Amino acid sequence: MSNQKKKIFQIEAFKNRVVVDPKYAEKTWKILEHAIHEIYNHNASGLSFEELYRNAYNMVLHKFGEKLYSGLVTTMTAHLKEISKSIEAAQGDLFLEELNRKWNDHNKALQMIRDILMYMDRTYIPNTHKTPVHELGLSLWRDNIIHSGKIQSRLLSTLLELVHRERTGEVIDRGLMRNIVKMLMDLGSSVYQEDFEKPFLEVSAEFYRRESQKFIECYDCGDYLKKAEIRLNEEIERVTHYLDAKSEGKITHVVEKEMIANHMMRLVHMENSGLVNMLLNDKHGDLGRMYNLFRRVPNGLAMIRDVMTSHLRETGKQLVTDAERLKDPVEYVQRLLDEKEKYDGIISLAFSNDKTFQNALNSSFEYFINLNSRSPEFISLFVDDKLRKGLKGVSEEDVEIILDKVMMIFCYLQEKDVFEKYYKQHLAKRLLSGKTVSDDAERSLIVKLKTACGYQYTSKLEGMFTDMKTSQDTMQGFCSSHPELTDGPTLVVQVLTTGSWPTQPSITCHLPFEMSALCEKFRSYYLGIHTGRRLSWQTNMGTADIKAIFGKGQKHELNVSTYQMCILMLFNNADRLSYKEIEQVTAIPASDLKRCLQSMACVKGKNVLRKEPMSKDIGEDDSFFVNEKFASKFYKVKVGTVVAQKESEPEKQETRQRVEEDRKPQIEAAVVRIMKSRKVLDHNNIIAEVTKQLQSRFLANPTEIKKRIESLIEREFLERDNSDRKMYRYLA
Amino acid sequence: MLAGYSTVSSKAKIKGLEKIDRLFNTYANSSLGMIDPEGIEALCSDLGVDYTDVRILMLAWKLKAEKQGYFTQDEWQTGLKALGVDSLSKLKKALSDLEKEVEKPSNYEDFYTYAFRYCLTEEKQKSVDIESICELLNLVLGVQFRPQIDSLIEYLKVQNDYKVINSDQWINFLRFCKEISFPDLENYDATQAWPLILDNYVEWMREKHS
Repeated sequence: MSNQKKKIFQIEAFKNRVVVDPKYAEKTWKILEHAIHEIYNHNASGLSFEELYRNAYNMVLHKFGEKLYSGLVTTMTAHLKEISKSIEAAQGDLFLEELNRKWNDHNKALQMIRDILMYMDRTYIPNTHKTPVHELGLSLWRDNIIHSGKIQSRLLSTLLELVHRERTGEVIDRGLMRNIVKMLMDLGSSVYQEDFEKPFLEVSAEFYRRESQKFIECYDCGDYLKKAEIRLNEEIERVTHYLDAKSEGKITHVVEKEMIANHMMRLVHMENSGLVNMLLNDKHGDLGRMYNLFRRVPNGLAMIRDVMTSHLRETGKQLVTDAERLKDPVEYVQRLLDEKEKYDGIISLAFSNDKTFQNALNSSFEYFINLNSRSPEFISLFVDDKLRKGLKGVSEEDVEIILDKVMMIFCYLQEKDVFEKYYKQHLAKRLLSGKTVSDDAERSLIVKLKTACGYQYTSKLEGMFTDMKTSQDTMQGFCSSHPELTDGPTLVVQVLTTGSWPTQPSITCHLPFEMSALCEKFRSYYLGIHTGRRLSWQTNMGTADIKAIFGKGQKHELNVSTYQMCILMLFNNADRLSYKEIEQVTAIPASDLKRCLQSMACVKGKNVLRKEPMSKDIGEDDSFFVNEKFASKFYKVKVGTVVAQKESEPEKQETRQRVEEDRKPQIEAAVVRIMKSRKVLDHNNIIAEVTKQLQSRFLANPTEIKKRIESLIEREFLERDNSDRKMYRYLA
Repeated sequence: MLAGYSTVSSKAKIKGLEKIDRLFNTYANSSLGMIDPEGIEALCSDLGVDYTDVRILMLAWKLKAEKQGYFTQDEWQTGLKALGVDSLSKLKKALSDLEKEVEKPSNYEDFYTYAFRYCLTEEKQKSVDIESICELLNLVLGVQFRPQIDSLIEYLKVQNDYKVINSDQWINFLRFCKEISFPDLENYDATQAWPLILDNYVEWMREKHS
């Protein structure tokens, strides 16, 4: 080689088209087809990934993607048809196993095929908008296997059969179930729903419908609910183990509807085991279960609440109108407290402190407590009993607990002003007789009343306490300034501020000389310190301790009322006294006099006097003597009665009348207050505003309010508007 | 010329006034200086109307008479001048015109209220007893609202919540007759601002008819 030309490399495009061997595509495809066969026949190990990938790559590159893709479809379909036959051939229980196995195989194969055909997946397929390989594999599986005529229905019925078996107590292969179900989910949510979930829900509904019908006939309410709860939990567990999580809400809805919603009414009202029975017997477990199950269905809780409310109202109504119960006010209130405690317990333990139930409880109590117009009086008597003896020896914390409970009942009262009247009377008696168990307990209750009703409600009550304290100081001052009085009768004076105390003005009776002299001394002492004040002796309210010696030398100390003391002292100067004589000398009012004489002459164990004739009642012509034969095993004998008692009919009427009278100025004051600030207001609004303002004391009657408004119009505080008759106008 | 004219008219005026005064003196009690109940009775008989006729009440209203049973000279003069009469015969004719004038809606309520005030004979008196109210209702409203008034009067006589009626209740009787359908009383609403006495009346009526 002598001539060596320097060659410059030039890269030029092919001048000639490369003609690919037309048989090249077919040949390449055959290689790949063969590979797919091998893969499906579990012979993949002998294949070269690299070679296959390259072949597939070249086919696509040389514009034979179409051939490759359609070939894939055909080949895969053919294989799947084979697989389908083998699955169909499986017997009985092996059906699912075979399906599962073949599915796993298919997935593995699909994976490998996808890897080999990845270039096509990434270029040809997106460009032609064809289904990607993996997805294609799933759709082909779905169409050729799952939706094949022979397999589709068999698959569904097998799955449902297994679920049914499990529901009847058999153990099934949950792992297998999970895999099959997952397969359906992988094939697409519509496959899962159409081929399994929908029929599953229908069949389950039918199952539970039948089961609940059977149960409701043979189980009582409590047991039925237990069964329902078990079934519900089972279904939830089933979903966790082998179903799509989204099915949980749907299947629980089915159970709730079939087992609970459809039988709600019957369960609640079941005789001897329904809601009312559970309430009566404090069956907290059953009630809690009912609450938890019913809250899952529409109107479930509303139904429980309504039945509870009407039962409670009925029970309460019977309680407050039961004639037997009404004889003992303390018992009456105790029953109310017990009932409240019972339901508080139920609501907190079984109904998880549900506020709507709390409200139902409150409105029911408010309803029936106010059905009996004596409730305010009885509650005051209950408190009186507790403060006089019931709370003796009880710890401070327990006292608070009891008083708080009573306050809760108090808050239900609509006529709080009636309560105030009675409370004042009873408190006065307690204070004046010195019969209160604990000063702290008394004051604690006043504070609670103040919190509930405002300062004005309790200001007079507090005044009563102050008077007691002040009287003590006054007595000390009196005694120290009159040392000569240590011999002779002892005087203890309580000075009460008129207006704070519920005293009725009374005519002072004639006191025995020893007492009247003493009283005068006190009066001058007191008025010396407090000039400008007026004192009047309330002889209808005092007590006295007298030492007496009877016919055979029996010595006793008698605790009597002031009136009784006046009567007895007369017998120091006379052996025999007629009724008229006693009346004249003592000037005690007739009805009181009769009562005093009766308690001293006609009551066994207290008959310090003897009466002729020995009739039960006091007659105006009776004569009285000291009962020389009086005997009592006690040295100290209590004759007077200043204890708070349930009012008699006429007393009750009187109190009610006084309450009504007191309400009139309160209504007027409210009307004036409102009109003063609003200047002009229409009728309905005035009624509403006045009612609202007075709510904490009593429930104002619209007719009464109207009466007061008319009275105010007459007295020219208000006038009607000339043009609009519904409006009222404030006149300054 | 003007002076002549006014002289004539003032002469006429004086003449008219003279006649009015003369008429006044015919019935007036000379020691009192005004027409007293006796005088009014005489006037009535001359006019040919009953002493208790509602037209006399209307006359009192027109005269704006302050005290029941008496007409002062001022009231007489003002009233007759307003009526445009100066003789008995003219007064007689004017009475029927007066009825029509009172019935005009703009006057009616005023007349009605006046009727009540006219009954307040004592100083500081604010209410009128039931008997008198019944008579007054009959007189004043009886013709126009016969069935309502008859029924209401019956009620007022049997009830014993109220022994007297005040002006507020009185004015509402008229409104009741005008506004409430009778005898069904269907559009009566007790929750509205009607006086309590009417609430009670309606309840009584409803019970009677049930």
